[in-house]
Amino acid sequence: MLIKESLVSAITSIKSNATRSFLTSLAIIIGTAAVIAVIGLGSSAEKALEQSIDDLGGRTLYVSPGQNRRGAVTKGMIPLDIKDAEALARNNEHNWRISPTITRNRQIKFGNANINERVGAYLPIHFNVRGYDLEHGRLFTEDENYGRKRVVVIGSDVPGELKTNVKNILNNEILIAGVSYKVIGILKEEGSTGWQNPDDELYVPLLTGAQRLFGTDKVDSINVGISNDHNIDAVMMTIEEILRAKHDIGPGEDNDFRISDYSQFADLRRQATGIFTALIAGIAGISLIVGGIGVMNIMLVSVTERTREIGLRKALGATQRVIMMQFIVEAILLCIIGGIIGILIGTSLLFLFASLNDWPYALPISAVIGSITFSALVGLFFGIWPAKRAAKMDPAVSLRYE
Amino acid sequence: MIIKTKNLTKEYEAGSQIVKALNGIDLSVEKGEFISIMGPSGSGKTTLMNIIGCLDSPTNGTYYLNERSVSELDDDELAKIRNEEIGFVFQSFHLLPRSTALENVMLPLKYSGCLENEAIERSKKVLEKVGLQDRVKHSPSELSGGQQQRVAIARALVNKPSILFADEPTGNLDSKTGNEVMNLFKDLNNQGQTIIIITHEDKIASQSNRIITIMDGLIESDTRN
Repeated sequence: MLIKESLVSAITSIKSNATRSFLTSLAIIIGTAAVIAVIGLGSSAEKALEQSIDDLGGRTLYVSPGQNRRGAVTKGMIPLDIKDAEALARNNEHNWRISPTITRNRQIKFGNANINERVGAYLPIHFNVRGYDLEHGRLFTEDENYGRKRVVVIGSDVPGELKTNVKNILNNEILIAGVSYKVIGILKEEGSTGWQNPDDELYVPLLTGAQRLFGTDKVDSINVGISNDHNIDAVMMTIEEILRAKHDIGPGEDNDFRISDYSQFADLRRQATGIFTALIAGIAGISLIVGGIGVMNIMLVSVTERTREIGLRKALGATQRVIMMQFIVEAILLCIIGGIIGILIGTSLLFLFASLNDWPYALPISAVIGSITFSALVGLFFGIWPAKRAAKMDPAVSLRYE
Repeated sequence: MIIKTKNLTKEYEAGSQIVKALNGIDLSVEKGEFISIMGPSGSGKTTLMNIIGCLDSPTNGTYYLNERSVSELDDDELAKIRNEEIGFVFQSFHLLPRSTALENVMLPLKYSGCLENEAIERSKKVLEKVGLQDRVKHSPSELSGGQQQRVAIARALVNKPSILFADEPTGNLDSKTGNEVMNLFKDLNNQGQTIIIITHEDKIASQSNRIITIMDGLIESDTRN
């Protein structure tokens, strides 16, 4: 009954000074909102990253052109070409899926729409390696690749960008760099991975792109898809062996290509995001402590204002402990209410941000519980001193306080 | 014997000076008495009430309340005595403005650890006793001055104190409601309640059975009607 009395008294006091209470807890509100939004965004970003890695359907190694150094002389970038990819594809030691890519920006026309968009030349297997799914129509085939057919599969955003819709564009001709291509398929929305947005891209068969569109057999990179249970180091060694032989690199000479692991990027990014999140959340946490000082200040005012009430309660038999509890409960409640409002604002901000970025919405429950607990602790810590002052008041003097 | 004090003194430090508020008070109060304490302001009557009301402790002297020495009790023990043995009624009522009449009356019971249902029952009964059974859910601002003071009296009585202190209880009331409150005190006294009133009005004092006049921290006169 005493705890209930303390709570009722705290609520009454907060309600009767609504504006003051709100302003007091504003720093707590802002602090909690910031902590929640930042931690939420951090974990949303991480989840987005993990999802895009999962979407790759296992791991993808990424072979890109590098520099060749002979002695002190650095030559330019040594390109990879389609033959390198074919050499890798002939090896079936690791059951890998080889997908070379050439991407360039080209002018795209459909009707009156004219846009500059990324066009990628890929093997049919690319969709499988990257885990892209088809929404309408079909993907191109090996035959169409070898036949250098002018067919194109487009990302889900492309019809909109060409100011048309799926129905009008599917199985119709569009102009890529002035040459007409038949739209045979439209992909499902994939969402941006952070590196690139597959929804904006146009996909043509590798050989069509190499010969008709880009006039080059030099590829930007070769994706090597492997399943998760493969030994990455062994796979990298095999790639190295094949390409070194192909590029005629002697013993002791450096590679003229680089092999990277997407998940390495992911780890780096995860680390960077983590550090950044912790930093911002820490700064936001400081504002909670600053807010606590505000709470202490207003509690001191409240204690002074209610001197007569304290005197009365003591005259009626309240012990020091009871008076102290009443004011501590009030300070904690003030902070918890601020914390709850802050969490509501923080989650709304997070929701807004995440949906703007097409990120999945992830907020660790520990962040919510943590920030409520922290607010309560701030209230406890900064409420103790004012509450002690109230408890120590002389009943005879405080009853006559004007 | 409810109250027995011997050579009670109280000194204050006011700046560098020491002010003697009480200069040696010997006072005995029997159960069922209705006493008025009179005296000009600064005479020490408020200090005396604070000490025998356990709101303050004396500098020297002994004070027995119900045969128990209270001059050396600690803070928590004093709080318990204020809660259980003493009821206070103040000039300015001292009600919690945002609580109902019932909640105000319940307050001492909350501090004595009474269960909520029992507290509500007992508080309602006392409110009935002071004639406010239909004002239970009203807040102080919805009550007249006389009604507010009756709520305060109910609050003072709810824990069945051995002694009821009233400090200028009619000071903020007009004479008609003041009389009503005095009649209530007389009724309570007739039912056996020990009451001590502090007043400077002869008209009020004359309604009690015993008048004690304080002057310069000493009992100047002690007369029984």
